[in-house]
Amino acid sequence: MRLLRETDTALLWAVGAIVLLGIAMIYSASSGAVEWQKQAAYAILAGGALVAVIHVPNRMLYALAYPFYLVSLVSLVIVLLWGSGEDSSRWITLGPFSMQPSEFAKVAAILTLAHYLGDRTVEQINHYKTLFGALVIVLPPIYLIIRQPDLGTALTLVAILLPMLYWAGMNPLYLIVIIAPGLSVACSFEPLWQGAAPFVFAAFIILSSLALHLFFARLWITLSMLGVNVAAGLATVYLWEHLLHGYQKDRILTFLDPERDRLGAGWNIIQSKIAIGSGGLTGKGYLGGTQTKFEFLPASHTDFIFSVIGEELGFIGTVVVLSLFAFVIWRSLHLAAGVNNRFYRLMAIGLVSLITFHVFVNIGMTIGVMPVTGIPLPFISYGGSALLTNCTAIGLLLHAHTYRHE
Amino acid sequence: MEYPDPNRHGQHLRGLLVVVGLLFLILFLRLFYLQIASSAHYAQKSEENRIAQKRIKARRGLILARGTNGVSEILARSRPTYTVTLTRSKPDNDARAVEALSLATGSPEIRYTRSGRTIRVLRDVDFRTVSLVLERLSEDWPLDVMVESERDYPYGPLAAHLLGHLGELQEEELQALRYKNYTPGDFIGKTGIEKVYEDLLRGEDGVAYIEVDAMNRPQSEFPEREQPPEPGRDLVLTLDYKTQRAAERALSDSMTGAVVALNPQTGAILALASRPTFDPNVFVSFQAQEERRRLLQDSSKPLLNRATREHYPPGSTVKMVAAVAALETGILDTLGTFPGCGGSLRVGSTVFHCARKEGHGVLTLQEAIEASCNVYFYHLGQSLGFKAWRDYAERLGFGRPTGIDLQPEEELGNLPTRKYYEERGGWALGHMMNLVIGQGALLATPMQMARYTAALCNGGYLVTPHFYAAPPRREYTGISASTLEKVKRAMRRVIYGDQGTGRRVRIEGVEVAGKSGTAQAPGRNTDAWFVAFAPFDRPEIAVAVVVEGGGHGGVVAGSIARKVLEAYFGKEPEAEVAADSTDAAREEGSLMRLPGATAGT
Repeated sequence: MRLLRETDTALLWAVGAIVLLGIAMIYSASSGAVEWQKQAAYAILAGGALVAVIHVPNRMLYALAYPFYLVSLVSLVIVLLWGSGEDSSRWITLGPFSMQPSEFAKVAAILTLAHYLGDRTVEQINHYKTLFGALVIVLPPIYLIIRQPDLGTALTLVAILLPMLYWAGMNPLYLIVIIAPGLSVACSFEPLWQGAAPFVFAAFIILSSLALHLFFARLWITLSMLGVNVAAGLATVYLWEHLLHGYQKDRILTFLDPERDRLGAGWNIIQSKIAIGSGGLTGKGYLGGTQTKFEFLPASHTDFIFSVIGEELGFIGTVVVLSLFAFVIWRSLHLAAGVNNRFYRLMAIGLVSLITFHVFVNIGMTIGVMPVTGIPLPFISYGGSALLTNCTAIGLLLHAHTYRHE
Repeated sequence: MEYPDPNRHGQHLRGLLVVVGLLFLILFLRLFYLQIASSAHYAQKSEENRIAQKRIKARRGLILARGTNGVSEILARSRPTYTVTLTRSKPDNDARAVEALSLATGSPEIRYTRSGRTIRVLRDVDFRTVSLVLERLSEDWPLDVMVESERDYPYGPLAAHLLGHLGELQEEELQALRYKNYTPGDFIGKTGIEKVYEDLLRGEDGVAYIEVDAMNRPQSEFPEREQPPEPGRDLVLTLDYKTQRAAERALSDSMTGAVVALNPQTGAILALASRPTFDPNVFVSFQAQEERRRLLQDSSKPLLNRATREHYPPGSTVKMVAAVAALETGILDTLGTFPGCGGSLRVGSTVFHCARKEGHGVLTLQEAIEASCNVYFYHLGQSLGFKAWRDYAERLGFGRPTGIDLQPEEELGNLPTRKYYEERGGWALGHMMNLVIGQGALLATPMQMARYTAALCNGGYLVTPHFYAAPPRREYTGISASTLEKVKRAMRRVIYGDQGTGRRVRIEGVEVAGKSGTAQAPGRNTDAWFVAFAPFDRPEIAVAVVVEGGGHGGVVAGSIARKVLEAYFGKEPEAEVAADSTDAAREEGSLMRLPGATAGT
């Protein structure tokens, strides 16, 4: 209990407020059905986990990072073989409990990356071998999660990796080398540009090469990036034509044009935007959301819980929620920066990245700036595994904070 | 494991904070845009989401005929039927709802077209299904029951051709009518009165507003916003029920032909019957598809309204045209005679025959009409000439539309022009011989004949036959009253003269005038014609009857004309009146199958 008293209570209060708000919104979204009680029970459990994690002996996480990682890989294999779920296998059911191994895998990957990168000097970080090693760590879980299939969670692991590499001291140039092909993919992606993709792609290749050359003034950098970008662009075209599942294409296309099929794939985004937009400044009042009450909003207590907040509590409500998240992230970043231990610091950055990515992608999805990926809103969306994971993440952050002087 | 970074924490932290700050700025701006800048737009969308519009079908107007003692008889009415509807949402939702319905009702396979917001799934369902849907299924599925009116013709085939029939609106028609608020599956008048007065009969559908959820299940209603339907107008036709009934009965089922009765003063149609006929109920029933197909393919064309859509050589009934023309042009007066009739007349190398082989001897015009002597009219035609004859035939409405309010549009008949003959081997005097006795190229519809008869007896006015609305204008033929008086007297002699061919058409207490016709038609026995009007002094009714291949006009058609006139004047023999009041027969719709007095007595 001493540790709890000494910990960062402001962060705990903010997280507690978000969780309570989440339970209240789940009550509204599921019209008072049992979900809110289950979520409350999960919250107590998750709170316990948070406190417990703070009290884990120092260095124990460091020692257990790799074993955790192996366990998470095994559970991901198990879920592929025996998992359950509506149109994908994401759940392992044990009696009355069911859990999502991919949630666990995120934390395990962060611990492992922190362990791996923390052991290396800045010089080593900037060596390709380290990047290769980091990829060896994240690619197996990414592959297994994509197989479920769950593209959104798989992308989460990429989103964790980049800030951790940056924090570990990787040269921004190399990060650009990693990110640029991603931009190249976007520029060559035909549905995004409606026939103009060849021109956009050509413009990107020319401008990026020019920028790289002016910035670094090294011909070999410019030429090799040129090659990588062109290859990424061509690969995109091939991937789209031959490798993506129909439903994956659908999700991406729907993101680009929600009006494509009003009653089909675009339904969720349209209804969510209507819900949030119709909330206006002050909202329709708690329990008063017609979009929610009459089931226009799909998955209103899970993935689209933010739409319920927008509809019932209005702009004021959404700004309050955004502010709470912003506070949690800002506070966590500061805590992370104050940690001396390199393993703990990288772990903390990874955890903040995880939460930030989820918040941005989920809220972005409900307001139509990100594709529908099935990523829940941390601390608010209904779901025990996610709540447990996120509270554990806060617990780990506070754990790192506790041992910041080590 | 300690590798302190050389004083780069601050810089790194700033980098990450900038990225996070940018991400949150995106979210904040987007939320501002949605919830503040365009919140009105989304509020409206949300409202539309919630409120569904439900159509309340307007009752289709009745079609009535004038009955006795001011009581109208219902010829077409609407009985409520129940249609199970589905409010359209996602295809798989629809499919599951229909599956649930199929399971609950035991209907094996339900076919439906996904067009429009409200889909008709099952039509004309029984009360068990109605209660099943409303009490059990509508809770979980966007299913509902719509009350629709199904057309019902209580007298079956009575006046079928003029009433016309309804049919389900087709997709193509829907395109053409898209401004008129029809939906697929609506019934619309396809022919006859049902089509012509569709806009009056159908009324205006109402709208109910219902709060629904995303599955379109009703949540609550807003009665204060409801727009009630405006029922269709009831049309009381000019048709006289008992005259119509008599016409239907006199024209027995074995005959092919038509009867038309008009008010000669106004053009109001009192009766219109055509044989063979059909039962219009077949076209609205969901069960009678087989019968419907048979009707459409029947080679005897029961759907054809022979009163307006078929033309015939009119035979001797047209002789009054020549009489009028001769009197008006002054080439003849009533007492003028021609060389006596010897049974036939040789013109050039052709011999033209009179109906009576032994001949009529020397006749006046009046006598010639009474006995229907062809030879007299051959002479008359020769002295009259084609131009003058044709002029009067046209004035009396031959070859011209009558303007009747019926669909499909009427047949025009044929009043040949000089050019017509020139295109077909040239004009010859023989053609004149034929025209003047209503043979050859001359063709007329029963409706045109009734109108012509009306013009002869009403002072020379061409009326516009009609079923509804104010009597349209009349057109003066320019024929003098004295001429018409002479012709009318001649027509009275047809009924009452010793030589008269229409002696069967005498009615107790009413003075009748008329003219028979026995026309040769290709491929069958002679067509029997009779035109008549009554009472002689103040005509109230003009009748035209044709029976294809019916034999002698005065016998077959004359008997029918008499029965129609008797019914109009309430002079029916006791036995028939008794049969008429048998309500059972009426309800069975078997009125037409009652044994009527056979023609030719």
